[in-house]
Amino acid sequence: MEMISIWIAAILTLGIFSFLYKDNPLYKACEALFVGVSAAYWAIVFYFDNIYKKFYEGAVTADEPDYFLWIGAILGLLFLTRLIPKIGWVSRWPMALIVGATAGLWMVGYFVSNAMNQIGSTISGIIVYDTATGFVAWGETFGSLVILVGVLSGLVYFFFSKEHKGVFGATAKVGTWFLMVTFGASFGYTVMSRMSLLIGRVDFLLGDWLGILR
Amino acid sequence: MLSTIAMVLSLIVGLSLIYLLIRTIQGHPVERRIVFIYIGLAVVLPLLMNKTLPLPITKDVQKLYDQLEKLQPGSKVLCAFDYDPPSAPELQPMAVAFLKYAFKKDLKIIIMGLWPQGPQQAQQAIEEAMLDPIIAGKNLVQGEDWVNLGFQSGNEFVIQSMGTEFKRMFPKDNRHIAYGEIPLLQDVVNFSNVDFVINFSAGKPGTTEWVQFGVDRFGFEMVAGNTAVQAPMMYPYLRTGQLKGLLGGMSGAAEFEKILDEKGKASTFLLAQTFAHATVIIFIIIGNLAFFSSRKKKMAGTP
Amino acid sequence: MRNSFEKTRASRALLLVFVCLLLLLFVSFSTSVSAQADNDSDTPADSILALAAPAPVTDLKAFDTDNDHGHSITIEWTLSADDGAGANSVISYEIMRWEPFVRDSVMAARDSLGWVQARINKFEKEIPLAEESLDEVLTGQPVLDSLSFLVAYDEKDTSFVLTSEYVDKTLRDTIAVMQRDLPVLKVRAPLLPARFDSLLILLPKEYGKYPDAIIGRFDSVGTAVSGATSHENSSAVDSRSMGFIPDLIDYYYRIDVQTSNPNIRTSSETVGPVQSSGQWFNSGLVPVLIAILIFTILTMIFVQLAKKGMDLYVRPLAGIEAVDEAIGRATEMGRPILYVLGLGSAADIATIASFTILGRVAKKVAEYQTELNVPCYDPIVMAVAQEVVKSAFIDAGRPEAYKDDIVHFITNSQFAYVGAVNGIILRDLPATNVYMGKFFAESLILAETGAVAGSIQIAGTDEIPQIPFFFVACDYTLIGEELFAASAYLGREPQLLGSLKAQDYAKAVLLASAIIGIILINIFPETGETFKSWFEVID
Repeated sequence: MEMISIWIAAILTLGIFSFLYKDNPLYKACEALFVGVSAAYWAIVFYFDNIYKKFYEGAVTADEPDYFLWIGAILGLLFLTRLIPKIGWVSRWPMALIVGATAGLWMVGYFVSNAMNQIGSTISGIIVYDTATGFVAWGETFGSLVILVGVLSGLVYFFFSKEHKGVFGATAKVGTWFLMVTFGASFGYTVMSRMSLLIGRVDFLLGDWLGILR
Repeated sequence: MLSTIAMVLSLIVGLSLIYLLIRTIQGHPVERRIVFIYIGLAVVLPLLMNKTLPLPITKDVQKLYDQLEKLQPGSKVLCAFDYDPPSAPELQPMAVAFLKYAFKKDLKIIIMGLWPQGPQQAQQAIEEAMLDPIIAGKNLVQGEDWVNLGFQSGNEFVIQSMGTEFKRMFPKDNRHIAYGEIPLLQDVVNFSNVDFVINFSAGKPGTTEWVQFGVDRFGFEMVAGNTAVQAPMMYPYLRTGQLKGLLGGMSGAAEFEKILDEKGKASTFLLAQTFAHATVIIFIIIGNLAFFSSRKKKMAGTP
Repeated sequence: MRNSFEKTRASRALLLVFVCLLLLLFVSFSTSVSAQADNDSDTPADSILALAAPAPVTDLKAFDTDNDHGHSITIEWTLSADDGAGANSVISYEIMRWEPFVRDSVMAARDSLGWVQARINKFEKEIPLAEESLDEVLTGQPVLDSLSFLVAYDEKDTSFVLTSEYVDKTLRDTIAVMQRDLPVLKVRAPLLPARFDSLLILLPKEYGKYPDAIIGRFDSVGTAVSGATSHENSSAVDSRSMGFIPDLIDYYYRIDVQTSNPNIRTSSETVGPVQSSGQWFNSGLVPVLIAILIFTILTMIFVQLAKKGMDLYVRPLAGIEAVDEAIGRATEMGRPILYVLGLGSAADIATIASFTILGRVAKKVAEYQTELNVPCYDPIVMAVAQEVVKSAFIDAGRPEAYKDDIVHFITNSQFAYVGAVNGIILRDLPATNVYMGKFFAESLILAETGAVAGSIQIAGTDEIPQIPFFFVACDYTLIGEELFAASAYLGREPQLLGSLKAQDYAKAVLLASAIIGIILINIFPETGETFKSWFEVID
């Protein structure tokens, strides 16, 4: 049984890889299969985890039913009113709840984690001393300077109310450089990630399928 | 034998890359399929070599390890598995290495996932960890030494709600045993009852959500293992101490395996990764050469 | 002319609001700082050796601190009669808290066991090992001192015996591990059910019965200088922090009046039980409240100004200017436009911004009678996008051209979705691809395929890791917040424009705060630290 599944996986992997040569029927078949299977998978996950496990077991069969879940279920059902054009507008209520609740939750989260704590951490001594020797740690000092300039010029770049001209423009330009360096670094990391995916697949093909690797 | 052939082939591939470089300078650009072949070879050949690379431990991994070392036997660790099979090559080795370390150290593991396949990945990682003779000898019991609470939908809302009570989000574990009947969870009400949190994350919801809705609200200590794509975004949190340590991508996983002394997949994959990176770098150079030489030609062509 | 006059007036008013708020902040800092300083200077000079015991404090009250995240108890009292009056012998008050003994002991025991375990591990490596030296380790004083409460060493049997029923399961587990590794250690006492599992965090109340349980003691948890009449006994939320105070545990307090002679002190009566708990409003988060209020007020002001028709300047963005051009190109070529909303949910800001841009694109498409294709990843996003496109077609006066399958669902699986969209790109060869919203690993795959298909590509996302890929493969890229700015710029709706402006000014405030903070901390470190603490909010 496992053998069959490995073979299916291997053929599908090769089918997707065949796109590297050019678009072909095998690739199309694999793609269609993938879309279909994943759609079905998610349908099952949503049904089983949400409707069955969370709602049915939590609000219907539980010893201490959580009645709040009924409110959620009713709001969820309201989504279906879209199917009836006349009362389709009702589906905006649950939508409003989702958007509103998430925005509220994230607002505080963003403010604290991404704005205030980050500014707090930017506020620090520019000259860093080595705790062991008491001398200026040049490397760290340079690092703290780079962070400082990066944060400030980056913020200036994303200021939309003023045209990028003069000193302001120059600072924004510095901000752009910082952004580019960031993108470069993140590009490198992403290449690493993609290679890891490829290595994972090749390991599967050579190891699990062909048995060449131990 | 295979290993020797692979090494010889790698050498040939390397030399042919130099040839490509020269051809590009002469004005014959490479076709994209050639690039794919080279990347393919750069991945396949090193895997056959069966060699590992010497690897220095970076500061972030060391920090993460120091945090883990502080945990006493019996400490409860919440492990959030927020990834799925596509990200497994990077994150699974981290998870396996961590679980091996944790079981050997007698840490108590509480597994959960904000991604549906996360807890399944965890299950696989546990099965792999259990193959270790030392861990197998411990006769660990599910429910007492570790528990898999499964997946819960709701993304960051799950974290928020867990701040009050885990039980509300996870009334049963993945074996359908009620929360209250699991010995390990007897006194675990919310985050204040776990000693540490570790998150393996491949996207959203993931480490960002855990920091913003978990660490910043409920004040627990957390480290994370991330895919390389995500890792750069986590550095600001690392700097402020919102994250106590970070493993980034395959190299992070390999370092983690090294520092824990648990040789695993990441260590063997790293050579392939290095070769692939070198190839990418060479092609970036070739690509730029081609770009500038074609521009030069165009400029020369226009009066 | 009038417009620009109003503009200056508005910005002046705004500036005034800022200055006032900043002043307010500073005043509150300086008052709190100076209040502390006053307290410090109150420390009395060494008084004469008091022979008589000072009068105890009276009216002692202990209660849960109001408006906090829990983990804090406030103690108030009336001064001792000998404080600043009478014998004037009081130099300080020591706050004593009674708490269950087991908590500290188990914590210590756990540490010790960790230490023992480490030693065992070490010795295991250094085989052969003389059993005597191991015994020495196990019977060594540092271990036994902290363990004595829980474990006794049986000399005859050379084994450890659990003396107390209060054995943490964790501790038992640890001992069991040690036992297996080390035959010397035998646990003989009957083990009770695992009631103790999480001693360190949630002490069952029955262990905290005051004062008849033998397992408790008074511990000093702080001192207050003479003249002080209150003290806050609080801890961080982290259960591993120093002096952690678990919520919902009974505590008892008393105050010891101290004189210059350490042996002469008077204890007050004990008050309690009192428990700490968190409230709905946590005053520790006031800085966040202030920050959000400032931001909200700014947003409201700017939205109002925008509604009144004030011209709010937003610098032009190249990517957005290109959208119209690209739609025109698609019309000329008679090829469709592909609009991808990304993988975000309907609540993601990037997706919301993308909806506005989609509205604009759809309107143009309806006007030019071009074909539009919007494949969706998230069903809710699809529902909203349908709504958006539909109203754009109505706005353009061509409701009959709207078809429900312009916006359609594909799948909720990342790479399957990408596969399908790739297929669409390669088969339909759209003239223009617009990628706006949240993108993850699929960004390059999409943009690369689009480039191969020869489409003009415009991308925008707030997912920083994906931007480099869009940069290399697309013609125009909106970086991060530019996406939100674009939606405001295009939509020209007062709400969007107003909030964009408010964001800009909020950024300016943050920028100014960072600069002020950096200057302060480098020149006046103390004030700087206080300033900094306002931004480092961890509940």
